[in-house]
Amino acid sequence: MSKKDFSGAWATFEYLDDMCAAIGELKGEGFHQLTTHAPCPRHEIDHALGNPQSRVPFATLAGGLLGFGVAVLIITKMALDWVLPVSGKAILSIPNMFLVAFVFAILIAVYFTIGAMFLMILRDTRRHPVPCSRRYRDYNRFMRDRFGIVVPCENNELEKVENILKKHQAEEVNLES
Amino acid sequence: MSQLTYGNINDKVVNSLDPPGRSWMISMAVFLLALGMGVFALVIQVRHGLEWSGVNHPIAWGVYITNFVFWIEIGHGGTLVSAVLFLARARFRNSICRASEAMTVFAVMTAGLFPLIHLGRTWLFYWLIPYPNQREMWVNFKSPLLWDVFAVGTYLSVSMVFFVLGLLPDLASVGDESKGLKRFFYRIAAVRFRGTNHQWLHYVRGYLLFAAVAAALIFSVASIVSWDFAVSSLPGWHTTIFGPYFLAGAIFSGCAMLLAIVIPMRRVFPGFEELIKVEDLEGVAKMLIFTSLIVTYVYAIEFFMAYYSGAQFERAIYWFRAFGEIKQSFWLVVVCNAIVPIALWFKKVRRNIPALFIISLVILVGMWLERFVIVVSSTAHGFDPFAWASYHFEWAEIWITIGSFGWFFMWIFIMVKIVPFIAASEMKERLMPPFRKRK
Repeated sequence: MSKKDFSGAWATFEYLDDMCAAIGELKGEGFHQLTTHAPCPRHEIDHALGNPQSRVPFATLAGGLLGFGVAVLIITKMALDWVLPVSGKAILSIPNMFLVAFVFAILIAVYFTIGAMFLMILRDTRRHPVPCSRRYRDYNRFMRDRFGIVVPCENNELEKVENILKKHQAEEVNLES
Repeated sequence: MSQLTYGNINDKVVNSLDPPGRSWMISMAVFLLALGMGVFALVIQVRHGLEWSGVNHPIAWGVYITNFVFWIEIGHGGTLVSAVLFLARARFRNSICRASEAMTVFAVMTAGLFPLIHLGRTWLFYWLIPYPNQREMWVNFKSPLLWDVFAVGTYLSVSMVFFVLGLLPDLASVGDESKGLKRFFYRIAAVRFRGTNHQWLHYVRGYLLFAAVAAALIFSVASIVSWDFAVSSLPGWHTTIFGPYFLAGAIFSGCAMLLAIVIPMRRVFPGFEELIKVEDLEGVAKMLIFTSLIVTYVYAIEFFMAYYSGAQFERAIYWFRAFGEIKQSFWLVVVCNAIVPIALWFKKVRRNIPALFIISLVILVGMWLERFVIVVSSTAHGFDPFAWASYHFEWAEIWITIGSFGWFFMWIFIMVKIVPFIAASEMKERLMPPFRKRK
């Protein structure tokens, strides 16, 4: 389903427990492609959605290892390419190498983390369609004080979804088909 | 926090972004004047060379390196509050984390200028970067100067990303609350953040990882800055205690600067007094007590080590610090960093905002002087009495130092009018969410 032909419903809630109960019932009815909105991260929503896990840490680890390795290679290459003898000190000094490699590992890990975060958010957002209507785009209380659920569904399921959302005291329910 | 709700947190934060008033304009003019003085002095110094600073033989490191260490460690204090306290789940952090993240970025931006100013031939700074060149000549990775390039560069980069990442939810909030062009720009800056579960899931995990690596980074950068001194063989510098000493000093001065920034902002912006509670400031004051005790211990143990080692040069340098030409600076350090913070042991003082503000300023003076004493005394009073010398301040370095404060506060003041000074989404996390059935 592309974004342009989104079919489904979206609702706003004043209370967090209402929304979590609605998520529970919607999942029980087989609606799993839910998107929720909240002004701040809440564990209650994660629990209701089944505790999804982020894979961003793998990117951080990969970035850290890559950064460390690249720094070691750069320093080794430079030390051997332009030899700087300083009294009896080693040409290729491991402690010095570790200092710079550690810092470089952190630098690359950070960029990998930020890259992975944005890519994963983009991927998940594409997988979970949301309405492209003006009403949804211009709704401006999700980051302020309201919670929300977007439920993609077929046209013949709209009534069922609407009933579930209203049953859990949704403040407003919008149907899009 | 019973009177606070998600909605009114937003209102208070968004209201602080209203067009600047007269006091902001006057303050900005003062900071720009200070910055102008610094730029003017720098131009003169670049034209004539380092003879216009107090740096001379044998005192090769003076006010500029003092400023570098001072500012970089202000930054460390900011990272500690934003990252380490985030990992420790300290509740008093939420209202001041944005200020501390901004402080880190701007302090590191300021610190990074000083090694360049100190180079003398500032325009050749790029020689420090390992870039391929015609002669295939590479930089010396055994030089602490190069460690600084990597450490400070990485620290600035990570701090900026950490700061910007923390801003995203609040920029989205401000975008939603604004109209017209302002709404358009804030929404673009928020990269379409709308608080979906997919966004929060990866955002929260990413932020946690950032906090973890930033915490590791402050330990390494503080140590690297301390090793600029400790790897030399000069008496007073060549000591293994410098790593933790610099780290504790960094947190100490950083927390003091944080109070010096947050307390006036809390007074100026209506509604901020409800968001930045006295308890939050008290939490920072307790960190000042803790770190003050560590630096006081180090002051004492340095003298003991000099005495107990039996090394005559070590003994001489510590005698010089306490009773030599710079004794006024040394004893001021002791008063500002070890004695004045004792007042914070009393709850009444910790909860007295003007007292807290004054103590934080006193600590900042003390910490600047501490770095000055460390930097100057060892080079002024090395092994050979024939090469002993005195340090004389020159006007250019004083103006450049004043200019650095103008530069730093100019960014802080620009920031408070462009992005939320308080992290609204983190403040909301601290609140009990709205439940229909009370838990």
